Order: sequence, then C-alpha cells, then structure tokens
Amino acid sequence: MSRYLKLVHMEIHRFRYILAALMCIIAIFQITGLIRFLLRELGHRELVNDQYTLKPLSFAWTIFNTQRWFIAPMLICIAVLAIYVFLIWYRDWVGRSTFMYRLLMLPTARLHIYLAKMTAIFLFVLSMLSFQMFLLVVENIIYKLIVPADLRVDSFFSEIINSNQALEILWPHNFEQFLYVYGLGFLVIIVIFTAILLERCYRGIGILYGIVYIAACILLYILSYSLLDSYESYLYPSEMYAAVMSVCGVILICSFLLSFRLLSKKITV
Amino acid sequence: MKESGIWTEVTFNSRDPLYLQVIRHFKEQIAIGQLQAGQVIPSRRELGAQMKINPNTAQRAYKEMEEQLLIITEGNLPSRITNDVRVLRHIRSELLNDAVDSFFSSVHKIDVSLAELIELVTSKYGLVRTEDTKIDGGGEQL
Amino acid sequence: MLNGVTFTAEKGQITCLIGINGAGKTTIMKAIMGLTPLKSGSIQIDGQPLSKGIYEKVAFVPDHLTMPLGMRLSEGIQFMQDFYASWNCERSSELMSFFKLNPKERIGNLSKGTAAKYSLLMGLSQDTDYVLMDEPFSGIDMFSRESIAEVFSSQLVEGRGVLLTTHEINDMEHLFDKAVLLQDGIVHKSFDCEEMRISEGKSVIDVMREVYQS
Repeated sequence: MSRYLKLVHMEIHRFRYILAALMCIIAIFQITGLIRFLLRELGHRELVNDQYTLKPLSFAWTIFNTQRWFIAPMLICIAVLAIYVFLIWYRDWVGRSTFMYRLLMLPTARLHIYLAKMTAIFLFVLSMLSFQMFLLVVENIIYKLIVPADLRVDSFFSEIINSNQALEILWPHNFEQFLYVYGLGFLVIIVIFTAILLERCYRGIGILYGIVYIAACILLYILSYSLLDSYESYLYPSEMYAAVMSVCGVILICSFLLSFRLLSKKITV
Repeated sequence: MKESGIWTEVTFNSRDPLYLQVIRHFKEQIAIGQLQAGQVIPSRRELGAQMKINPNTAQRAYKEMEEQLLIITEGNLPSRITNDVRVLRHIRSELLNDAVDSFFSSVHKIDVSLAELIELVTSKYGLVRTEDTKIDGGGEQL
Repeated sequence: MLNGVTFTAEKGQITCLIGINGAGKTTIMKAIMGLTPLKSGSIQIDGQPLSKGIYEKVAFVPDHLTMPLGMRLSEGIQFMQDFYASWNCERSSELMSFFKLNPKERIGNLSKGTAAKYSLLMGLSQDTDYVLMDEPFSGIDMFSRESIAEVFSSQLVEGRGVLLTTHEINDMEHLFDKAVLLQDGIVHKSFDCEEMRISEGKSVIDVMREVYQS
C-alpha cells in the first residue's frame, strides 16, 4: 500500500509545475474577465441615470456574462489533462531516459504503477475542480469588493453553477449526473490506458490493436445505448439504465484485466 | 603495504594464466629485494583491486603460493611472505635458472662457442651493474 | 533474434556475455529482469523461476539513463531507498564520493561517463546477490572506465554474481572469470578464462577471433 502511495506522490510531484501553471492560467483569465465585466457594468450604471442605475448586479449574472473568460481556461486545462493521459505513460519511455525501466524493476506489484497513474489523473481532475470552487469563492469576494452594497444581490450556489455552461456539466447536481459524467470519464481513461499498453506491448502492430480496442469499446457502449433505447424496447428505464451500467462495468473489468496482464507479462521496454 | 608501483604497475599478458603471472611477480619482487622475508602483503581483495584483476584470480594465486610455502597466513592475520630462508633462496635460484634457460633457448641455434658467450656475458654484466648502482641504492641481497 | 541460449552465471564470479552489436545480449538481460517477455524457455535465479521477488535479488545497470532527468542525484537515491529494502545507504555514499558525484546535480546534466557511474552506483548500492550490467564500458571515456574497473575488482563486487555484456574486451579480460560468446542467436562457446589460458594458452580475445572471424 505504501509503495502505491509513494508512486502516487511521485506522479503528482512530477506534474506539480504544470498543475500550478494551469491554476494560474485559470485564475488570471477568470479574475481578469470578472473585473473587466464588473468595472464596465458599474461604469455603465454611472453614465446612465435612470432606472438602470439601480438595477442590481448579481454574482450569478456576472458569471453568466463572463462565460468566455471562464470556459476558455477550462478548455485549456481539459486539453492539457487529456494530453497528459497519454503523456503520463509515454514520458517514461520516450526521451533520453527510460524511467519505465526503473518502474518495472521496482519490487512492487506492477498493478501499483497502473493504479498510481490512474489515481494521479483522477486527483488532478479533482484538484482542478476544487480549485475552481475555491476560485469562485475568491471571485465572490472580489465581486463584493468591487460592487457597492446597494447593487449587490446574493446568489444561490445552484444559480451560480447553472449560469455557466461548463460548470453545469462539470459540477454534478446529483449522484446520477456525477456517475454519468465522471464515471464515463473514468471509463474513457481506463480504455485509453489499455490502448496505450497495447501499443507499448506490441509496438508496430500495437497502435492498430490500441485503436481497434478503443473503437470496440465505443461501439459496445453506443450499441448498448441505442439497442436499449429504442421505442420498441420492452425494458423499463431503470432496467435500461442498469443494462448500460453493466455494459460499462464489463468494459471496465475487461480493460483492467487486460491492462494488468499486459503490464505483468507482455510489456517490453 | 602500498609501496607505490609494486602492485599497480604490473602488466599482464592475456594468454598465460594470470595467477601464475601473479606468482611470478611475487617471486621477482622477492628476488630483487622489494619484498622482504616476513613482510605483510595485501589481502586478496586489495591485490585484485590494485592489480586490476579478478579477485578470484588473486585468491587462486594466494592459494598456490601457500601450497608452495611462499606465503603464510596465520588465522585471521594478514598474509606475509615466508621467513623460511631456504624457500627464499630457492626462489632466487629458480628465477636465475629460468632466465638462463630462456637465454640458452634463444642462443643455442646460433653457432657460438662457450668462451665467446662467457666474454659477452662478462662485458654485459659489468655494464648493467654500473647502471644499476647509479639508479638505486641497492636492495638487500638474499 | 535469439534462438535457444543456455548458460549459467554463478555467484562469486564475474561472467561476461560477449557478442557483436545486435547479437541479443541486451535482450537477454532484459528478459532476465522481466523487462521483455520470453517467448519460450525459462530463467532461473538460484534455482527458482522468475518471480516478483527477483528485484531484491538481482540488480540491473542499464546502458543508458533510467531516472527522470529533472531529478537531482540525491533525490534519485532517495527514490531507490524508499522502494528497496536491500538498499545500502553507506555504500551509496561511499560510491558517491568515490566517483566524485555531486548530489545536487540534475540527472539530465550529467555527461555520459558520469551517468554511467551513477547508474552503476544505483545497481551496486542494492545488497543483491547478483548484478547485471549492460555494456558498462562502451562509449565511456578512459578515465571513467578505469574508475568503473576499479569498482569491479574491489569488495563491492566480491561474493556477488556479476553478469555483464560487452562487444569489445580491450584490456578488461583480466577482470572476468567466465566468458560466454554469443553469435547467431546461440551460445557458441562458454568457458572459464583462466582454464582457457592454462589448457590452451589462449586469451579471451584469441577465442573471440576464432569464433567471430570464421
């Protein structure tokens, strides 16, 4: 267990600068956008001297109007993390130093290497989310600092989340949504990891295996959805839901087992 | 134990058994007086490191030298050259005999009389000895 | 392409696996270390088949860097210490000073000779029964090579089984107990170096010439 944790720590440690940079990018973009909008809105209210002047400026409204500033850095983060899903493996093979030699020779189950990388990605995503939440609090404070009390309107947390299209997807409203978004995301990462390992084990033809594997999983998922979703289906919605979940479960388990087997027996540096 | 060069400046050829070359080196050092009777010699490991040879080779050489009564190892003490004067003298004569043997094997095909050989050897001896006494203070004769 | 290679490397001996570039020496090392799958055949360490536990028994010194380039030398050592029960801290400090390595230096900034010394340090600081080295001397400057050779004949290696690969012998044959000559995917000749000198008066290079130039 402790070896697994040490590996997780190492994976996080290696990524810390990029993580910090991403956080800075998000912060800078969002706060800049926020301040610009607020100052402009206040400026308008000063110029025009009528009912508009008294119109309150809610935080949720602010968030709604600064979406571009918010979503752009989020997309950058998502892109970087998506690339790192691949790089977290490939960086250990490619380049002057092949760290994968060391990892594979550690007196620990190879499972732990895989789990550590998976955990690391998972933690990165979580930390980005948490940071966003933290940033919202900070932005709220900034909002309160800039907007005079008589124009302020408190917003509910759910209002804030709903004002931003990205946040609406990323910040789950209920368990089902959480499962759907993050469970699926988790599954995607597992499938990609498996494809990466296929490529690394079989080199030349491995790329083909990897692509085929991903395609097969996607196909399976779409099929399960469409087959079960047809109007003539005799399954209840909850049963359909369970069926799709089972298919996902099957993909998950197969990918895990395949990955472990590849990593233990077939991997080559 | 770490006289400069006595162990580190040995060159080995790769075709003759290394352990025999090590033993020969010991004998030569004894004959020229660099190694004294009863002198402590490096451990097997140290010898291997200084001569840059495999420690097992050093081990083998030591074993053989012990059998030849050339060195003595008492318990856990470091090994030393034997104190037995007869053995030491024997080495001297052994090396001399070997040298003379190889001299004769190079020379016997050439048609030369014993008298000419002796004259040659005498003149060379004189030359070599004067050079030697110029270079070093002379080692102890056994 | 290897095709039936059989040999034994013993504890307390330094065995040298010789073959021209591409003969498969590195593949053998990797197979022993579980870094590449074996298509057939078996590898046994002390009579036991390969298993997870071998990493505490066998250390491997690859021919290139295997630590993250951004890490400092001291951090690399800390990493190994964290994972290996068989890590010997005294020996790693001893080797650090013997090789005159700077612990604050980043691994990416090392020269080839220094990197080789560091890799050797990584391998030898583990208290394993066996050490495998892949081309420890190739591409290294002469003085680094001398340091490394000194480490060989010193107590750091004694008592362990050492298996190393090389494609050129130079003046190193005095260090080896046993030589295994590889060609065309099989073992052509396997012999004890001293015995070869005693029985046939041949050096390892002589035998190499016979095998590789016929």
